[in-house]
Amino acid sequence: MAGYLIDPSRAPVAFGRRAVPQLFEELQQPEADRRLRALASLCDLMHDPERIYQTVNGGFLEQLKVLFEDEDSSVRTKTCELLHLMTAHSIGRQALLSSSLLPSLSQLVDDSSSSCRRNVHRVLNRLTLLPAGADALLALVPKLMLKLRGEEDEEEEEEEVQVLLLSTLSSCSRLDALPALASDGVSLLGHKLSHRSPNIRREAAAVMMALSVCEDGKLKVCEESLLPVLVDLLHDEDIEVQANAAGVIMYTVIITTGKQQCLDLDVIPILLELVSKKEEEEEEKERKSRKALVMYSLRALTALAEAPDGRRLLLEQLPLLLRRSEAAEEDHDIRRDAQTAVRVINWRP
Amino acid sequence: MAFVSQSQRAPNESYTFASRPRPVENRSKYREPPSEQTHSNYGNIMYDRRVVRGNTYAQLIIPTTAQPDPVEAQRQQESRRRAIARKRAREQFISSTPEALQGRKHIDVQTELYLEELSDVIVATDVECQTDAFLDKPATPLFIPAKSGKDVETQIEEGELFDFDREVQPVLEVLVGKTIEQSLEEVMEEEELACLRAQQRAFEELRNNELAEVLRLQEQERRHSEEKGRRIAQQKEVLKKEKETAEKIAARAYTQQYLSDLLPAVFTSLRSHGYFYDPVEKDIENNFFPWLMAEVNNSLEKRYTARELLDTIIHDVTQKRLKMFKELETQ
Repeated sequence: MAGYLIDPSRAPVAFGRRAVPQLFEELQQPEADRRLRALASLCDLMHDPERIYQTVNGGFLEQLKVLFEDEDSSVRTKTCELLHLMTAHSIGRQALLSSSLLPSLSQLVDDSSSSCRRNVHRVLNRLTLLPAGADALLALVPKLMLKLRGEEDEEEEEEEVQVLLLSTLSSCSRLDALPALASDGVSLLGHKLSHRSPNIRREAAAVMMALSVCEDGKLKVCEESLLPVLVDLLHDEDIEVQANAAGVIMYTVIITTGKQQCLDLDVIPILLELVSKKEEEEEEKERKSRKALVMYSLRALTALAEAPDGRRLLLEQLPLLLRRSEAAEEDHDIRRDAQTAVRVINWRP
Repeated sequence: MAFVSQSQRAPNESYTFASRPRPVENRSKYREPPSEQTHSNYGNIMYDRRVVRGNTYAQLIIPTTAQPDPVEAQRQQESRRRAIARKRAREQFISSTPEALQGRKHIDVQTELYLEELSDVIVATDVECQTDAFLDKPATPLFIPAKSGKDVETQIEEGELFDFDREVQPVLEVLVGKTIEQSLEEVMEEEELACLRAQQRAFEELRNNELAEVLRLQEQERRHSEEKGRRIAQQKEVLKKEKETAEKIAARAYTQQYLSDLLPAVFTSLRSHGYFYDPVEKDIENNFFPWLMAEVNNSLEKRYTARELLDTIIHDVTQKRLKMFKELETQ
């Protein structure tokens, strides 16, 4: 019983209720090796929601604070992975928020080991699933923007970190876009929009969409003349990228400047094409993303129809939209959007 | 002692004796046989002389003849005599002297003239005889008792005690079970997360949609209200301008009318104020008349001075007269 372990990379797990407390006691041992094994076993256990509940209620989270300052980087990485698993559930997220772990976690963003940084970003990303978490991270947004800027010249392996960063930023900005805008987010994201990886493009467009909800964001987008880039993105292969780009355009054309620029770029035919695309045999997920794309395009067209030039163009294309608004369309939302668009087009002052 | 026995001579002259088994009665050798029967029908078998003690495989089986062998009888008598002799010899040595006192011992002493060595050592001669050297005894044949009963043999074959496939099953089940359990948990967790995310995404899209609509409508409202405001302002401007123009016109008409009979009135008032004057007349008035008046004043003043002087003189005179009259009265 003494020395033989079935899996040498995991510590032995006690039975039933004793498992989690015993592993946490193991974490206080001086040898880094044993701590690593205990952390690996804990990671395995934390997939079960009951164990997470037990950990949170037993108040074991505070012990993890000590581990953040451990010298061994793999211990830090594993601790962050453990937190990542715990934040998969709402109680874990709430416990993390109410404990005092956030400041030390934010310091770990600058850690020397890249895998540790990646795990910290994963934790932050999961934390933003909770609105209170996004709220708490708003203070961290400038730092994250700096990180994003600093990573512009990194290689491929940091792509995941960038994607995580961007998705965290988009969740925070949905709550309140001001910090990101204040750190000059729009221009930074404009660079990212032309990245070669579709994931990054998608996330950057999502952040942009969140940023352009507020007035300043829209103005900035027009100022930085990002609309041509976005119109290019509408031709992208990845449907999510298209959807997000359509979303940004949808917000931007609400203001007059945006309308002008878009009409100059002759964006109406593209949007019409997107709306009227025939749905082939697609799976569930693709249909959902296509639905988003169609909705956003319809809204953009509605906004464009308020401008006289746009209305003129769209009056010619009216039958197309009418078809979409017929009862043949099974999706309620799309039908409603199409009807709104038709109504706006037919409006007379 | 009632014999319950049957003895009869078989036709082939072999004697058989059979009796019911019966415990032996103890009877002491020296006692007269008791008149009555002993109560106990049995005695202790350990002290029964008729029971053979010891090894039985080397004893001679007592022949079943009833007549004692004469040789046997003689031999028995001889042994009896020897036993008696031995006993007598032993009795001789039992002395009838009293025991020794404490601390003392009786010792046999010879009191004859010639001491003889009494010793128990009997002169003996050794005679040896030796058998031949042991011959090699041939090996005793293995004592194999006669075979009886059935032959049964058993042999444990190769796979009978321990069947790996069967034994390993529980271990494998546990291992595989635990692995699958863990992986199922992880897969379920991921599925749950994916479901959550999908739901969130759908919600976000709808929210974005509605938000866009809201913003658009807001913007539209804003534009409309701005437009309205502008138009209202424009209208106000227009109205104001109109009013101003009307006022201006009214003012102009009024002033014109007012000013129309201003001119003769002005001339009249000016003339009445003396602004239009005849210079000679003015000159006469300004220069001549003051001089004339001054001269007149002068001359009048002279006259007044004279009159005053006269008045003073008259006053003095009367005063003096009065004084004089008063003096006259008193005298």
